[in-house]
Amino acid sequence: MSASLGAVGVGFRRRGVPVTVVVCLVVLAAAFLAVVLGPVLYPEATKQDILSSLMPAGSPGHPLGTDELGRDILALTVAGAASALVGPVCVAVGSMLLGILLGTLAGYERGPLDFVISRWTDLLLALPVLLAAIVVSGVFGGGYWTTVALLVLLFSPSDIRIVRAGVLEQSARPYIEAAQMLSLSRWRVMFRHILPNVSSLVITNAMLNVAFALVAFSSLSFLGVGVPPGTADWGRQLTDSRSIMFDNPAAVIVPAVLIIAVACAVNLVGDWLGQRLTRSGGLS
Amino acid sequence: MLAVRVLGTVAILFVLSIVVFSMLHLAPGDLVKTLLGTRPASPEAVAAIREQYHLDDPLPVQYLRWLGGVLTGDFGQSIRLQTSVADAIGSRLGLTLALCGLAFVAAIGSGIPLGVQSAVRAGGVLDRIGTALGVIGLSAPTFAVGLLLLYVFAYYLPIFPVYGGGRGPLDTLYHLILPAITLAAGLGAIVLKLTRTAMLRELDADYVTSARARGIPEGRVRRLALRNAAIPIVTGASLLLTFLVGGTVLAETTYALPGLGTLLQDSVLFKDLAVVQALTLLVALVIAVIALLADLAYLLLDPRVRAKGGTA
Amino acid sequence: MTGIDVALDGIEGPAGRMVEPLSFAIAPAASLALIGESGSGKTLTAKSLVGLLPPGFRAAGTLRVDGREHRLEQTDASWRAVRGREVSLLLQDPFTSLSPVHRCGPQIAWTLEAKAGRRLPARELDAEVARRLDEVNLPARVARAHPHELSGGMRQRVAIAAALASDPRLLIADEPTTALDASNQAEILDLLRELQHERGMAMLLISHDLGLVRGRTDEVLVMRHGEVVERGATARVLSAPEHQYTKALIAADPALALDAPVHAEASGHAEASGRSEASAADPPAAAPLVHATGVVKRFGERTVLGGVDLDVAAGEIVGIVGESGSGKSTLARCIAGLEREDGGTIAFDGAVLSPGRRSRTPGQMQIVFQDPYSSLNPMMTIGQILREALAVGGRPATEVAGLLETVGLPADAAAKRPAQLSGGQRQRVAIARALAPRPRLLICDESVSALDVQVQAQILELLGRLREELGVAILFISHDLAVVRRIADTVTVVWQGRVVEQGPCARVLDAPVEEYTKLLVAAAHRDRPHTHDHSTDGRTIPA
Repeated sequence: MSASLGAVGVGFRRRGVPVTVVVCLVVLAAAFLAVVLGPVLYPEATKQDILSSLMPAGSPGHPLGTDELGRDILALTVAGAASALVGPVCVAVGSMLLGILLGTLAGYERGPLDFVISRWTDLLLALPVLLAAIVVSGVFGGGYWTTVALLVLLFSPSDIRIVRAGVLEQSARPYIEAAQMLSLSRWRVMFRHILPNVSSLVITNAMLNVAFALVAFSSLSFLGVGVPPGTADWGRQLTDSRSIMFDNPAAVIVPAVLIIAVACAVNLVGDWLGQRLTRSGGLS
Repeated sequence: MLAVRVLGTVAILFVLSIVVFSMLHLAPGDLVKTLLGTRPASPEAVAAIREQYHLDDPLPVQYLRWLGGVLTGDFGQSIRLQTSVADAIGSRLGLTLALCGLAFVAAIGSGIPLGVQSAVRAGGVLDRIGTALGVIGLSAPTFAVGLLLLYVFAYYLPIFPVYGGGRGPLDTLYHLILPAITLAAGLGAIVLKLTRTAMLRELDADYVTSARARGIPEGRVRRLALRNAAIPIVTGASLLLTFLVGGTVLAETTYALPGLGTLLQDSVLFKDLAVVQALTLLVALVIAVIALLADLAYLLLDPRVRAKGGTA
Repeated sequence: MTGIDVALDGIEGPAGRMVEPLSFAIAPAASLALIGESGSGKTLTAKSLVGLLPPGFRAAGTLRVDGREHRLEQTDASWRAVRGREVSLLLQDPFTSLSPVHRCGPQIAWTLEAKAGRRLPARELDAEVARRLDEVNLPARVARAHPHELSGGMRQRVAIAAALASDPRLLIADEPTTALDASNQAEILDLLRELQHERGMAMLLISHDLGLVRGRTDEVLVMRHGEVVERGATARVLSAPEHQYTKALIAADPALALDAPVHAEASGHAEASGRSEASAADPPAAAPLVHATGVVKRFGERTVLGGVDLDVAAGEIVGIVGESGSGKSTLARCIAGLEREDGGTIAFDGAVLSPGRRSRTPGQMQIVFQDPYSSLNPMMTIGQILREALAVGGRPATEVAGLLETVGLPADAAAKRPAQLSGGQRQRVAIARALAPRPRLLICDESVSALDVQVQAQILELLGRLREELGVAILFISHDLAVVRRIADTVTVVWQGRVVEQGPCARVLDAPVEEYTKLLVAAAHRDRPHTHDHSTDGRTIPA
């Protein structure tokens, strides 16, 4: 999986880090700054001001113009980074932790526990993430953090499977049998010996999950699920501004491009990291 | 082996049907009010609803009655559209199928050749372009691609219609071109990635070295590798389907197409539960059947598995 | 100007020069063996002669076929005209060198069409494929079979037919029999020899195995670290090797070493520890350290061990030999508790152990595995690995240095990770880890098979010394008769999950009684008796 994206960076190397990856890291750093500083810089980004409604980009005081409700697009976009990015990161981390726990147990203990966990992941994998999220958050309502929890659950099968496969593969290796010959406790074998050796897989997958969760999350807010109306959020912004696309294109283009750029950056950095970790780490 | 696989599929569908049925009772708010929709909640109407949905029966009986209906194609009434759910779905099915079909053909048609070429000339210019497109296709949400395309084609290059489903088959097809391209972007990226990875692995295999070493022409060698790569590509088809289901909802919403995706979204927002239940089950069924077909294709493509399946 | 003439100026890889300049000539119908261990550059040399070096590798030089000159650095497009017609390559593993999803017939037919340069009529093609199959002693129906339906030996015959379908002037055979079991090896090599004579085709045989080429090639080139260290007529190199490395290779080779008397040191050990050969065959007076009776192990429907008895006395080195799949490793793993036996009893020091690890303690027995690359946790330092093992034995962490010294490693190795050590050093660490809980039995499961012959000798010497100094008993499992011969006091021969023959090392290997042991020893010598029992043919082809 990771091999396919590597070609982008080949040939532009400088001190071991490809230029593409440097650019991606800059994008991610900017996004991180927006998340941290957004609420400080634009505490009133979502405040409506009918008087300055629908100003085009380049208007005085509104470099990217305003939307129908008179909200400044620049302020809305910077303030929307937090909502658009924090959730996906939490989804990836949460599903990674769930994956490590259940995947390691299933892969190392085998037997009935493995059977139950594997059938559970089969069931979840039979559901398309987006459809399940639309139906569940749509029908049962629920706010931002409910959506995060739901996505953790829906993303976890991929983590569980990857950890389980990694643990199964490592368990068959002689160094694990050598640890068993020393009669070490199962927890020590699982978390001291096996886990560090599958960590590169886990971290890489978590990075890729950030990108997928970002796409899923913004898709849900675009469909009006997950993020309540009136929140500053990139996906939400796209739904709200669809009708004014021809009055102030910046209101649509800026958040759309940002979502794509951040997702690309996370994907590329994740792949690069995966290759680095695989090369230096235990998995060969 | 196949029998076990079919049984597993049936079991998953059964569990899902229970989950979907429970949705009605687990949804927040008063069930009767939800079922009444916009009608006034007079005692007679409430009584009629309770009667109509057999709400006074024990839950397992309700479930079995509902399952019986589902199995005979009766999904109940849509409270929003005031028609039977089957009719609501039936009238929109064609458009969604056409959209998915077009996108699928476009994705396969572009993803496989590009993936093969990228793998054959790994590290070359075409590979870099293909890889960059692949990353963008995987990273860009369908609606974001849709909105950007919409803007470009409505504003700078007004050759495609931007909203609606059109009238008559040809006009519909014309209206579907832009949505299909939007959907194919993500789909094609997945196909490209699957193909490139599989081809790279096969081109590295001993039998390819062996074929080259005996002077077999490069074109034949590549066909040989692609035939072997077909196995992992087909196995990866489930990824495509998962993407397609979510992507269709987004593409239809973006372009305001009257298909199943918009039907689902509207029904969810309106809490038109009968339609949501039916669509969820339908999608689960389609996914299960296609996963089963992918397994069958795997049997056809790999003589080693075929040999084992034959004896088991 | 007939025959093959190669002048290689060198092969460069991403990590620098891989192969130094070398040259050789092969007359039509003659053969040359290129011998070396993995990493010697022999396979790169072979691939450079068909223009199929892996990405990042470059070769320079010339290949002359009957006077026609081909530059090794020419483009892939120019190579395509050379491959097949002039040179063809036969790969090691018949399991992977044929496309698994295509039938065998078409795979031969493509080569025929490539040579003809056009599509051939189906009937003509079928007839020619049948003729080519007949040439390698296969029936015509094989054309309709998929590779997985054939045995390893048959697959390699198909691969030979495919490689020769373009009638090359030079066949490069890269370890063509390594993936096959002993009984098939000779047949394939003899077939190649025969085909060579019929066609007047030159052959370059690449192998790690010097014994294999005796009587089968005219000349030998011995390579090490990308350089030719010795060359000459095969008979001369085998009987009077000049280079130290060639001598080590010969000493390590069962086919050649078996001619030598039993390893003096090994029999010396037996006497030194007070056990004459005769007494080792009788039941030992004291209770044995390990006493296994009637051990049965099944994997699904396959019975891997069908009731095996084995005794290991304290301080004794017991060798277990058998081909792959014979069950020898499974027996060791049952004793270690890594597999649970389905029947029989295993007693340690008089007490019966129930199946599995739970009934065993680290101080009873430890294992040293075959692959030193995967038997150490790559994420831990050597010090961490050894401290963990010492803690299990209740010994302080300060003993790491002493432990390293015992296995002949410097104290500063403790700070390193496995990736920074060589294969031999890693195997020493694995031995140190096994010794940390002071086990009374050390199980060596093919522990030297993955090592270079010189390193192999050092590890064997270390094991012998450990037995002397620590009095630890060793259960030594190997497929390699020469290695067992060098270290074991007694030998147990295992075949199809049963003990075929048991007794003192020299008696079993020099004067075998049982038919199978004779066959095994003979196969190691590579001159198979003509009265070959066909019921055992193909017995070790993995399913």
